Formats: sequence, C-alpha cells, structure tokens
Amino acid sequence: MIEVEALTKVYPGGVRAVEAIDFTVDPGEVFGLLGPNGAGKSTTIGMLTTTLRPTSGTARLAGYDVAKQPLAARSVSSAVFQEAVVDRSLTGRRNLELHARLWNAGANQIDSTAAALGIADLLDRAVDTYSGGQRRRLEIARALVSDPRVLFLDEPTAGLDPRIRHELLDVLAGLRGRGELTLLLTTHYLDEAEQLCDRIAIMHLGRIVALDTPANLRTSLGAELVELRVDGDGERSLARLREHGLAGDDAFVVGSTLTVPLDGRGAAAAIAEIEVLDLPVTGVSTRRPTLDDIYLRLTGGRLAEAA
Amino acid sequence: MTAIASTASLIRRERRPGTTGALRTLALRRLALTARTPRELLVPLLTPVLFALVIAPALKTALHTSASYESYVAIGTVGLLVPLNTFFLGLGVIVDREMGAQRELLAAPVRRGLLVLGNLVVALAITGLQIGTLLGFAVARRIHFSPHGPGVLWFLAAAILLTVAMYGAAETLASRIPRQEEYIARIPAIAIAPWFLAGSLFPITAMPVGLTWVARFLPLTHALALMRYGLLNDSSGLHAIWRMHSTTGSAGLSLAVVALFALVLMRIAIRVFTHAATR
Repeated sequence: MIEVEALTKVYPGGVRAVEAIDFTVDPGEVFGLLGPNGAGKSTTIGMLTTTLRPTSGTARLAGYDVAKQPLAARSVSSAVFQEAVVDRSLTGRRNLELHARLWNAGANQIDSTAAALGIADLLDRAVDTYSGGQRRRLEIARALVSDPRVLFLDEPTAGLDPRIRHELLDVLAGLRGRGELTLLLTTHYLDEAEQLCDRIAIMHLGRIVALDTPANLRTSLGAELVELRVDGDGERSLARLREHGLAGDDAFVVGSTLTVPLDGRGAAAAIAEIEVLDLPVTGVSTRRPTLDDIYLRLTGGRLAEAA
Repeated sequence: MTAIASTASLIRRERRPGTTGALRTLALRRLALTARTPRELLVPLLTPVLFALVIAPALKTALHTSASYESYVAIGTVGLLVPLNTFFLGLGVIVDREMGAQRELLAAPVRRGLLVLGNLVVALAITGLQIGTLLGFAVARRIHFSPHGPGVLWFLAAAILLTVAMYGAAETLASRIPRQEEYIARIPAIAIAPWFLAGSLFPITAMPVGLTWVARFLPLTHALALMRYGLLNDSSGLHAIWRMHSTTGSAGLSLAVVALFALVLMRIAIRVFTHAATR
C-alpha cells in the first residue's frame, strides 16, 4: 500500500532531513516511524502527503507516485498532522463536511464516525471551544470520513495529558479493525509504538537505522542485559569492559549509565567478572531489554530527552 | 474478493471532486471564515467612507471647487477601498497557514491553485459588497454620479480586474511573509502609497512629469480613469494617460493594462502559494 524507495529530502540551505529511506507497508498494516524530533519523521509524512516535495527517490500510495500523480495519491489518503490543523471558528460538523466535500465523499458517514470517536455531542459547537483531546479526536474523525485507504498520523498524541493520551491510544487501536485501512504513524513514545504498531522503523538523523516488529527489535539485544551506574566517565568504564571482552559493540553509555547486553552469558557470572575490574560502580541491575534500549543503542540518545 | 469487486472498491476510493465543486467548497469555506471575522469586512470600509463622506466635502469647501469634485473623490476612494480590502483578506492566508486548516487543504485531492481561486471568489464578492456600500453612502450624501449604459460595464470591468490584481498581490505577499505583523507593516507601502500617485484626489497631470510617468505604470491609475469614465462620464483621466483622441480606444487600452496586471499577479500568486506551501 505504501512503497518508499530511496526517498530523500534536502531542504533549501542544504539540511538533509531524510536520507534515502526505503520501506513498504502492507494493506491493513500499522507501521510506526519512531525517533526523536529532527529524525525526519514529519518530513517523511510531509512527502507522503505531498505537502513537501521529495528531492529524490520515489514514494507510492496504492500504486500512485506522490510526485507524479499527487492528486490520485491524495485522493486515497488522509492525514492527521502534528500541530492542530483545523478551522477553529467553524463548528466540528462544518470541518467534517468540508473534508467530505473536498474528498468527494458523502456526508452520510459524519455522524457515525463522530459517534465512534466520542465527539457526536460536540459537532455543532465551534472548534475553538474544544479541549486539546477533543480537537484531536475531531481531526481523526475528519480524516476518516473520506474512507481513506491510507491514514497518516503525525505525532497523534503529542502535547496531550496522560489521560487523554491513553484514551486516544484506545481510539487509534480501534482503527486496526477498520477494513483495509493502512496506518502510518510517527511517534517518539515507545509505549505508543509498541502498543499500536505491527512494525516499527527507527529513524535517526534522516535515516532508518532499524526496521522490524517490536518483538524482534527487542530480542536483537538478547534476553537480558546488565545496567551499571558508574561514578565518573562512563565511556572510559565501557572501554575497559570492552578491553576485557566483557562488552561488545552493542553495549552503550548514556551519561554515567552503561548498558551491557549479556549475549547469552549468565548475569551472576558477568557481574562477578565486572567486579574484578574494580570500576567505580555505584549500582548494578539486570533486566530484560526494551525498545528504549534498542533506540539508545542505535541513536546514542534517550528518546524522551531527544524529544 | 473478486476482480470486479476489487476494481469497484478502487474506483470508489479514488474519487476526486470536480473543479467547480471544489472551488465552490473552498469559496464557501473562506466566506464562512470571513463572516466570522467582522474586522475583515468593516475595517477596510472605514477609511474610504470617511473620505467620501467627510474629507471630500471638506476639500470641496476648502478649495472652492465645483460640486463634481466630491464625485471625483468618491470614485478615488474606491481605489483605496479595493487594495485595503484585498490586503486585509490576504491576512486570512497567513492565519490559515499559522493556525488554520491550510495543511489539510494542501493534502486534499484538489489542485492547489483552486485554494487561491477560492479565496479570490470571496475577495470579489466582499469587495463588490463594499464598493456597493461606499457608493450607496455617497449617493445618500447626495454625491452625484452619471452612469450611462456601457459606462457601468467599464466601471464593473475595471473594479473586478483591479480586485483580481490587488488580491493576487495580497496572496503573493501573504505567501512570502511569515508573520501577520510583518505583513501588516507592508500594507501602507504596497496598498496605500500608490493611491496617492494614481490620480485619486487630483489628476495625474497635476504632479511633476516624472511622477506622472510613474502613475501611468500603476494599474490603479488605469482602473480609476476607467471607473470615472464609466460612472462620471469623465474621460480626462484616460486622456491624461494615453493622450489619444479616441476615448473608447483609451478605455480599451487601460482595461487591457489592468487585465494584464490581474492575469500576471494572479498567476504569480498561484505559483508563489504552491511553491511556498510545498517546499
């Protein structure tokens, strides 16, 4: 449903926002682009929604080239953008009707879609009276009234408080069963990606540095890892672990915390070997790898900090 | 799913609105937004009405001119109303981009030029309403107009084309200027300064020769001369521009000039909007 080949975007001034990325998304699949701000996620969505021109490469939606057949590509897709993109002085209903007319869809789905998203009672109020969560629901409802084959969601829960965010995640999870709807969403929340997505592409500095199912990504660091907190320079401590063969290339440092995948070794034995080195360790723990670890290994920065 | 059902599904989902339907939808949206912003309707009208009703009669008294000077200035104020109104409507483009639904419209399966044309339709409607209001106030104030049959057509053609040209300039500016404050700061130079040179309050031949030549290149000068020819049966403005004996020929040439400006400025507006909206 979505085919992206060597897609590249260089902004005027030479900023390379997206660098030759490739991926495909199957019909009905929920695909996540994960990464911090500046990773190139929104630029990718911009190119796929034809609101940004690709510098090179190709992207197709339902077989339509977004650069050569933009009208056809737009006719099969809808988007919910990161920022609020809505006519605030108009009513919710008017916003939905405008979308339906511009996509040449009947207005008969407006009430049912609004009801499904829990905003039926708000439809006849001006949007500038909506809360942030209500407005986001309206934008999702708007994107759905044209019955798109591809729905883009750019940071759909950004800026929402935790309760509204979780409510919205339920709504998004409910979209899964909606026919052949293909979802591409961007996020910098790991739990969101893990909860919603069939596959995840992690982006870093405009490139896709990993692409797989959440489960496979997690297991790429093995079943268990050791986390060491050290006093002083974490990089120097990691270098010493590597000198003694106790850490591989997949180990990484964030600040004064070292994360060392065990790669099949026993945790107790590994900790004993580390203690022999007499590093300035202030704390040791073992745990199962998370998506956060994958991200940190691939990008060298914690998601929440980067975002 | 059978092949036929699959194709039917494909056809159902690849629907796009026709050009007329899309233009109508976009124009109605802009009208609905504008109707909720009285500022856009009323503010541009204040200064021209003040000119027509207060300043022109005051000038007449102070200068001891004939009664036709009020009519002369009343038409001149149309030349202020059109740029002010269109440039105020241009603010809507920035609002759309900064906190409105512009990205949604850009993601819609309609040609992006239609977004500009939809705004233009509303600019024409509102400007028409405001010109009607201005002339209505003027008539109520016993300012005399002497329209003849084709004259009304000259007036309408000039007013419409001037509005198209000015709205093209406003959209272009709005697409290139990032913030409302910067846009508003440029309005006096672009929308108001030419008014003082275009024969709004006095014939262009009353100015130094160099400025008279500058005035001949302004679309507003041609539009005002046409409007006065149309509503006041006063062709002096056309003769001052073209120095031709044929009034109809002069009017045709001035109309062509305004039409050329309208065409070029709208094409630029569509091009700049499309380019700026999709970097």
